[in-house]
Amino acid sequence: MFIRKTDAGNWIRYSILVVTSLIMLFPFYLMIIMAFKDPKSILAGGYLAPSLEPTVSNFVRVFEAASFLTYLENTVLVVTGILLLQLLLIIPAAYVFARLKFRGSGLLFIVYVIQIMLPLEALILPNYRIMNSFGLINTRIAMILPFVGSGYCAFLLRQAFRQVPQSLEDSAIIDGCGHLRFIWSVLLPLSKPTLIVFSLISVATHWNDYLWPLIVTDSNRVRTLTIGLGMFVQHESGADWGMLMAATLFISLPLILLFVVLQRRFIESFLTSGLKG
Amino acid sequence: MLVVVSNTTVEFCHHACLVLSDGLSYSKLHGGGVTTVYKTKRRYLTIFICLLPSLVFLGIFTYYPIVDALHLSLYKSNAFTPQPIFQWFDNYVRFFGNPIFWEVVTNNVIFAVGTIFPTMLLALFFAILVNEVKLKSPFRLALFYPLLVPYAAAAMVWVFMYDPSLGPINKLLGIFGIHSIGWLGDQRYSLLAIMLMTVWKNVGYYMLIYLAGLQNVPAELYDAARTDGANWFLKHLHVTLPLLGPSTLFVFVVSIIQSFKVFTQIYLMTEGGPGYSSNVLIYYTYEYAFKFWQLGRASALTSIMILILLFLVLIVFGVFGRRITYQAG
Repeated sequence: MFIRKTDAGNWIRYSILVVTSLIMLFPFYLMIIMAFKDPKSILAGGYLAPSLEPTVSNFVRVFEAASFLTYLENTVLVVTGILLLQLLLIIPAAYVFARLKFRGSGLLFIVYVIQIMLPLEALILPNYRIMNSFGLINTRIAMILPFVGSGYCAFLLRQAFRQVPQSLEDSAIIDGCGHLRFIWSVLLPLSKPTLIVFSLISVATHWNDYLWPLIVTDSNRVRTLTIGLGMFVQHESGADWGMLMAATLFISLPLILLFVVLQRRFIESFLTSGLKG
Repeated sequence: MLVVVSNTTVEFCHHACLVLSDGLSYSKLHGGGVTTVYKTKRRYLTIFICLLPSLVFLGIFTYYPIVDALHLSLYKSNAFTPQPIFQWFDNYVRFFGNPIFWEVVTNNVIFAVGTIFPTMLLALFFAILVNEVKLKSPFRLALFYPLLVPYAAAAMVWVFMYDPSLGPINKLLGIFGIHSIGWLGDQRYSLLAIMLMTVWKNVGYYMLIYLAGLQNVPAELYDAARTDGANWFLKHLHVTLPLLGPSTLFVFVVSIIQSFKVFTQIYLMTEGGPGYSSNVLIYYTYEYAFKFWQLGRASALTSIMILILLFLVLIVFGVFGRRITYQAG
């Protein structure tokens, strides 16, 4: 019926999206081509076109100058530690709030929600004082602990657990199924989309963390990728853009690759999980 | 119907298992009778065990810090006063009389307003567009990937983008005859430059949230709008927007919180400068706490930030929350 009209509309939609995507991708494009480019040709202003003879010398110099592999190891340990502990602690809590109503449970849940509104960044000084009194400054554990009691995780999982029909719980009970078994074999498999979404968001958030690791670390042994990059920039104060972009690409690429691999899974989960508000 | 339970988990949770196992099932199936009190007790024990660990963490890393900040904010405490001296609200009074403090607060407000609304509008616009075309995934990826680039890395690229002589932005502007804007080194532009980069970083995430919301809009409503002769803009204004209330609230709250978390890009791109032109509350607090070691002052700033955040979020939920969440439920 409206074929002509829709075609025109589609054409406009696609052109807007293509232009926007190109603008959005431009910084990433710069990062990649400059990382493989001879620094002198960048300073000469010829950085826009990809190099005809890409070089890995920037990467070689980055790994010689700073211990990025140690940083990578630390980041991976911290990020995994945070995610695992978040799930371990919050799954039972979300279970209680979703399925075991008790008097005052709504009020108690607000205790978790307020945590979402008070990000650690706002509370760095008191948290630093606490870590100091625990003697945990300059450890990986210090970078993990403050993020474990995640209100966001509690919020998302409670939504997901709630959507599991009561009839499933009833039949589980008749089968003689206890709380743990019910969580493990009914609730969690049915909440997979939310678990995937939360996991990726948690990993991306904490891969990104800067302020807190900056404050609680003061040696290369425990520093994470982001802090390592910041230090690297301060040490290599000259405008060696090739080297900087090589380091920048190195700390960004793992997450982006992970996402590209999981994209379908993640987006589908995101669109079906309880993230609608 | 039960799937196999992993052995290690069972072993690992053996003790918890004993307590948790059948408390609930009993009380549900055999409710009443002599054993009810015992079952209720058992049920509360389960609840207690499930909540305790996370509450301990929340207590130590969220609630105790609030108390600590409020408490220390009443003391003079810095590198030269090892023993804090109680001085009532002196730290606050000094900030309220300090024009730099107000400049920082103003910057934070400008940053919040100037990132939240453009990001939300763009996110909504692109979500609608992506939802209406057939080929979705390359556009979703192109818009979403900046969320995965750490701020530290994004800051490096954007410092290059903003480079006055070498950077592509000034080269592009040069074509139109606009010459050498010193983006990050110019008081007039530094905050704007940080804001632009932040919008780039977040727009894809909010787009995805809107896209999730759009999956719930029934297609019949659009058919109705079309038969009424509504054009594209009116259709979305009157049909889509009202139905995206819950998503909008969610995005709004998340972005308010985000706008107070802005630190990395400022630390790496401008250090709050030139002067105080791109300094915001978190960065200002960081300076007082970890550069000047004025702990009392920094605690006062922390307390101010806590109050602002709680106040804003209460307002948002108070005004919109009730209506919208019920709509969603």
